[in-house]
Order: sequence, then C-alpha cells, then structure tokens
Amino acid sequence: MALAALKQPAYLPREEGKLGLGIEMDTFLRDVQTRAYRITLTSVRDADEALDIVQDAMISLVRKYSARPAEEWRPLFYRILKNRTLDWQRRGIVRGRVISFFGGQEGEGYDPVARATGPSSENPVETVARSDAMDALENALMDLPRRQREAFMLRNLEGLNVSETATAMGCSEGSVKTHYFRAVHRLRELLGEHF
Amino acid sequence: MNTGDVMKKRELEERTKRTFDESVSALDAETLSKLTQARYKALEQLKKNSANTWRSRWIPACAVAVGVFVVMVFWQGQLSGLSEVQTFDVVALSDLEILLGDEELDMIQELEFYAWLDEQAEIVPADGTEGGVG
Repeated sequence: MALAALKQPAYLPREEGKLGLGIEMDTFLRDVQTRAYRITLTSVRDADEALDIVQDAMISLVRKYSARPAEEWRPLFYRILKNRTLDWQRRGIVRGRVISFFGGQEGEGYDPVARATGPSSENPVETVARSDAMDALENALMDLPRRQREAFMLRNLEGLNVSETATAMGCSEGSVKTHYFRAVHRLRELLGEHF
Repeated sequence: MNTGDVMKKRELEERTKRTFDESVSALDAETLSKLTQARYKALEQLKKNSANTWRSRWIPACAVAVGVFVVMVFWQGQLSGLSEVQTFDVVALSDLEILLGDEELDMIQELEFYAWLDEQAEIVPADGTEGGVG
C-alpha cells in the first residue's frame, strides 16, 4: 500500500494496521482543519471558542468514527461540528439569560485588543479589502436562517456535495436544495453592493 | 430562473467561495499552530482506541475461558462421583481448622509426638486403669 510506505509521524499510533488509518486520518484532519475553523469562527465569532469546538469535533470523529470508511468522514465531521456549534450557541443563550437575570451584562471582560489578530506582513490595502469582503459575507450569513446558512456554508464554502450536505445537516437532499436555493437568493439581496 | 439569474447566482457562489478561501489562507501562524495541536490531540485518540480494542477483545475472551474451565471442573467432578468432591471438601475443611485454630505452632510441629500420645491413650491396660503413660 502506498500510504504505508510514507514515513510515519511520531504522534501516530505505531501498531501494524493502524499505520494506514493514522496517516489517512491525519491527512483528512489536516485538509479540513483550517476551513472548519474559519466556518466555525463565522458562526461563533470567538477565536478561542471556535478552536475548542473544532478540536472537540476532531476528537469525537476519531473516537467514534475512525473505523468507518474514509469517504464517510467528511459529512460526519461536519455533522459533529454543526452540533457542537449549535450546543455552544444554546449554552450562550442560557448563559446570557442567567447573566441578565443577575443584572450583569454579557460580554463583560471582553478585551478587543487581546482578541485582535496579529500584524501581517502583506499589503495592508489588500488585507483591508479582503477583511471588508469577509466581514460583509459573515454578516450576511448571520442574517440567514440557521438551516439556510448551514446549507450554504457546507455546499458552497466547504464544497460538500448534496448528499454529504444532507448527511451533515441530518435532512433530506431535497431540503438541502431548497435551503441552498433560498440562501443564495437572500445573499444576493444582502450582498448586492459588495459582490 | 432565466440565464441572467443563473449567471448572477453562479457569480455570487464564486465570489463568496473566493472570499472565504482567501480568509482561510490568511489565517495567522498562531491559529494554524493551535489547529495542528488540536489535530495531534485528536489523533492521540487512535492510540486509546487501539488499547480499548485490545481490552474489548481479550477481557471477554478470558472471561469465557475461565467460565468454561469452571464448568469443566464441576462437570468432571459429577462424572467421577460426588463422594470425591465431598472427601476433598472435608480434608480441606480439617486443614482449615488447623490453620485457623488457636493452638500454638509448636504443637502442630510436634504432631508425630501427639499422634503417638493419642495411640497410647487408646491402649487400655489389662488391669483396667486408664492411660498407658505415667
């Protein structure tokens, strides 16, 4: 097997038979990690939380589904990621209610300087333009109903096909097509001037 | 949907995809490093999974083997008659009495002497007096 001929990284299990699986899973996670993080960041708007959610989803995939065929990993991973994000949002709603009940204000302790991204060496004009476009896209996505947003992000941004998106969303392929169509239509209205 | 709409739809899909891809490419080194660490942690689970697989295979197998062994022992015991098992139990119980008793160890070590003493006591002298030892 060609995979077995590759040099095995130190962090992968060394038993025979697990070698191919380890490399295959490593390749898969390496492939999805940045996009998964970015899509989660769009939904939760908090870098640390997004990292935690992605890590949880990765661990959960390896723990529960590593024995499943590799073709199933992508939709399963995004399904876990979607559920983790949803859990986080629900917890946020409950937390907000509790804090407001005790007279506090959600977001206390938030430090925008600490959260700001580090300096970049690339052209600042390009960075600003790209950042503006992404901000506009993120804002428009957050204006969509949740199911439409999920369908658009999974189908268009993550590149899943209709069947994989249906598995990830836990609905029928017909529902995916409907949500996706409505999402595109709404985004055209929202992003008209930017795109 | 007319051709113009289709074109606009496709254009929007391409623009949003490109914007998203660019933002993914622009992720800073610190975030990428954290993501790599997260991946390593996830892959650690593979080792745990393999350990759990070993346990999940061998523990039930060992339990079944022990169960079969116990059943075989009792089955053999029934075939060769219960009396042997009972004899074994009685011997084992008498040994336990000795081991758990309050007698001093010296007495147990001089068992031969006490056995002889016992035999002497059982010999009744011709004159009818009890005890052959003075």
